[in-house]
Amino acid sequence: MDVYIKGIGIISPQNTTDSSKFLDEVVAHDTEFLSCVQPNYKEFINPIQLRRMSKLIKMGISASKLCLRDAGIENPGAIITGTGLGLVGDTEKFLNQVLDNNEEFLAPTAFIQSTHNTISGQVAIALKCFNYNNTYSHRGFSFESALLDGMLLIKDKDAENVLVGGFDEITPEHHSIIKKTHWVKNDAIKSLELLDHKTSGSVVGEGVAFFSLTGEKDDNNYARIKDLKTIYKPESNEEIEAKIDEFLAKNNLKKEDIDLVILGLNGNVDTDDVYYHLADNYFDTNYAYFKHLSGDYHTVGTFALWFAANTIKHQNVPEVARFRKENFTEKPIKNVLVYNHFREVDHSIFLLTQ
Amino acid sequence: MEELLLKIKEQVIDVLNLEDVEPADIDTDAPLFGDGLGLDSIDALELIVLLEKQYGIKIEDPKDGKKIFQTIRTIAEFIEEKKK
Repeated sequence: MDVYIKGIGIISPQNTTDSSKFLDEVVAHDTEFLSCVQPNYKEFINPIQLRRMSKLIKMGISASKLCLRDAGIENPGAIITGTGLGLVGDTEKFLNQVLDNNEEFLAPTAFIQSTHNTISGQVAIALKCFNYNNTYSHRGFSFESALLDGMLLIKDKDAENVLVGGFDEITPEHHSIIKKTHWVKNDAIKSLELLDHKTSGSVVGEGVAFFSLTGEKDDNNYARIKDLKTIYKPESNEEIEAKIDEFLAKNNLKKEDIDLVILGLNGNVDTDDVYYHLADNYFDTNYAYFKHLSGDYHTVGTFALWFAANTIKHQNVPEVARFRKENFTEKPIKNVLVYNHFREVDHSIFLLTQ
Repeated sequence: MEELLLKIKEQVIDVLNLEDVEPADIDTDAPLFGDGLGLDSIDALELIVLLEKQYGIKIEDPKDGKKIFQTIRTIAEFIEEKKK
């Protein structure tokens, strides 16, 4: 059975909560990391419940409700999420309480909410949904694992529709720690100029997105998710090419059939080589990139999937996201391939079609 | 007593993150749980921690909590009593 995206709810560093728009107005960031544009949470959550929720939980519940509203579904057949680091803010709050109070007087809220499965649990409570509920935390494959699980549920007809999401947040404290590694740029840069800075590291971001998956074909669907593949620690660009060949052949496609390739370029000179290699030596088509709009994080595949689905729905690649603009040609967007990797370890490919 | 009541209201607003609520909005004699502020069991735990941390008072028997946390006034009376 085919799997389609029926609805999307996404909160990101861009204005993405209005599903009728696709990057009409771009938000430029010049801070050390890219924070989400916050919606008015009172539109989605009861104020009594809202007061206890940390930022990421508010974003998670709101994004799930936006998604279900977009899909016209009240109660999903399953809720599956993926997260690289879980609720970092609540974890920090709890650990700081432990340190500040000498392991005494520990308040419960931050501790309860610090677990990785808080979002899928809170979404289930908010919707009174007692169906299958799962959370994956597999580093750079977290969202991909959740998506695969959701697709299998649809294919096996275990659920008519599935709510699949991914989330990660960045806090000043966590950023100050990872800034000590070579994965993050030393100085704040203008996000839209991400690829112009030929230095080590990238810019960290955050985001939450939910996708309503269904097996039913409908003209209002965003796109069909034809296939998904993960590659763990490929040793060379040649190995990656071979894996893409294999992946496309499995889906009865040739690389010439791909109308748009979305690359996970993140401005890190140490790890962007594979993207340039694919654009220079493998594909010969239109290209797009997105991490200057979202920042990089474990579950950035959610932003990539949202972007890919919208290029098909709107039949447009926003100017700001076009890569190699000089060679960009206007043509129908039927087959879209997303290639992304997280720190050169977790590589993933999404294939979307009309 | 009035000073203590105000202080408790401020602390409750702070630890329970009661956005848009001012001390003057909280009725000293209104029930905290159920109808009044609509607090729940997790809030009860937060209030137990507040008493222990801010006033050094430990509630030994959880059953006493229901009586102590009935209203802001019962919390204040319990603190006053423990001070003696």
